[in-house]
Amino acid sequence: MKTWREVRVMALVYLVILVLMMVPAVLVWPSLHADLQRPSAMLQAFGRMGEFLGRAVDAMRNPDEDIAYLSYMALQLFFKGANVAGIAAAVLLGTGLFAREREAMTFEFLLSRPVSRGSLLWQKVWPCALVVVLPIFVTSLVAVPMSAAIGFGLPLGPLLWCSLHNSLFVLVVLQLTVLASLQSRVQAHAAFAIGGFVIVNLALYFIPTVRVVSLFRLSDFDWYGPIMAGNRGAAELFDPLRHAGLSTWLVLALGLLYAYTHRRLTRLEL
Amino acid sequence: MNPLVLARGVSKCFAARTALAGVDLEVPRGELLGLIGPNGAGKSTFLRALVGLVRRDHGELRVHGLDPATDPVLVRQRTSYLPGETSVYQQMTGRAWLDFALGFYARRDDELLARMQQGFALPLDKRVRTYSAGMKQKLAVMAALGPDVDLYLLDEPDRALDAQMRYLLRELLRAKKRAGKTIVLSSHHLSEAEALADRLQFVVAGRMVPPAVLEAARARLARRLRLRLAPGTVLPADAELLQHEADGTVLVHSRIPPLSLLQALPPDAVSAAEVGVLRLDELYQELLHATTAGSAS
Repeated sequence: MKTWREVRVMALVYLVILVLMMVPAVLVWPSLHADLQRPSAMLQAFGRMGEFLGRAVDAMRNPDEDIAYLSYMALQLFFKGANVAGIAAAVLLGTGLFAREREAMTFEFLLSRPVSRGSLLWQKVWPCALVVVLPIFVTSLVAVPMSAAIGFGLPLGPLLWCSLHNSLFVLVVLQLTVLASLQSRVQAHAAFAIGGFVIVNLALYFIPTVRVVSLFRLSDFDWYGPIMAGNRGAAELFDPLRHAGLSTWLVLALGLLYAYTHRRLTRLEL
Repeated sequence: MNPLVLARGVSKCFAARTALAGVDLEVPRGELLGLIGPNGAGKSTFLRALVGLVRRDHGELRVHGLDPATDPVLVRQRTSYLPGETSVYQQMTGRAWLDFALGFYARRDDELLARMQQGFALPLDKRVRTYSAGMKQKLAVMAALGPDVDLYLLDEPDRALDAQMRYLLRELLRAKKRAGKTIVLSSHHLSEAEALADRLQFVVAGRMVPPAVLEAARARLARRLRLRLAPGTVLPADAELLQHEADGTVLVHSRIPPLSLLQALPPDAVSAAEVGVLRLDELYQELLHATTAGSAS
């Protein structure tokens, strides 16, 4: 509960940011859609952001407005909103979990309590996981009635599958951040390490020839757009045998990272 | 009856540094043991090993009959540990932090907690970040003595406490001892630990100093004098000059009883004299010399 008390304000702020990022996106949709029909200023601006955004914009310019709108929402909800804000929240929350205990000289006190290290790790991680995951689903669910209000019906099923995949992606980043926090004596060191890692991956993402190695490739429009538009089944995300099965790999990565963090914490000596 | 704490040949190295070099110690139930030693002697490492925060490299260690390396949670359920260099969560109020710290244990010593609350007079409803260093230490002491457990391991509990609070702490520890609890505390204050503990155990260079070595060192230091002599004074043949101190005094070893040596000096030759264990660091030096010489032989 101590960790929850510490992160609850940040959770609220994060949720508000996500919703605030989504609401204008929905409300300006008709005029934004009209602008997108004119291949002038808007397309040039988006074009400079690379091949990824080009494909996203192409999808949004689809003559079938349902497809265009779903593509637009996929971009808004998952790539722009949850990835960016979710990673920021994960870094802010995760880097302090252990490093701040060291900085504040409370780490020895905490480790000497009559609880197992495994329990300690779980008690620290789950509130943060809840904080980064819950707003993704809440934002997605808020988008459904809002979209209905302007005459577009978002498909709930694919939306929830995409939310699940996006949650797994953000959880992997969170767990990586927790590991960095455990390895660092100062929170700033963990923040720099993870922040640097994220920036490098973002840079890689915007270079088409090396995009494939970027972490962000695991959770981008190329996955969410077709699922939201109904051109790809969400089950493909969970089928590593016949399809890419990205969600399954993320679950595996999450499990391995958690197990490794647990092992490091269990073996940690003061 | 089995001792509550049992250590046999416990050793621990951190990279190239030897923190514990074959520690042997038994602490019977109900004893108040004082661990005395210079900084870096291994006191804190030994206390950490007792609660499983540090894993020994060699030797046998039992606390409540359990191995803290394999059953750390069971050991800690029956042990309250106050780390030497610790702090408290700044964003919490004192009361919230105390509830958090005590919430890990099955039973509380409510009577002692009430006594500490009255004696320490802490503003428990204020946030900890407004506390001074001494107030934070009082809060940490409350959290350490608050649980009703069998064993208390206290690493310098009197750190940052003033004389009045150190006196209160002594009374609290005596109350625990009267209740049959076992206490191991480390301290830099020889006189206070000596006044409180049933037994003092010196720790030097990662080793527990055997009682015979300690007595021999004290006996040697009892023949040591620090003298302020008149210019031109010649020392008797029974006196060995050890060193000239910066303050103009001389450190002398006497082969005869110190009083006899003083009587052997000319009248008005001595303007000031100190006899015996003059400083704790001198005793540590003597013990370090004796312990390392003993282990080498």
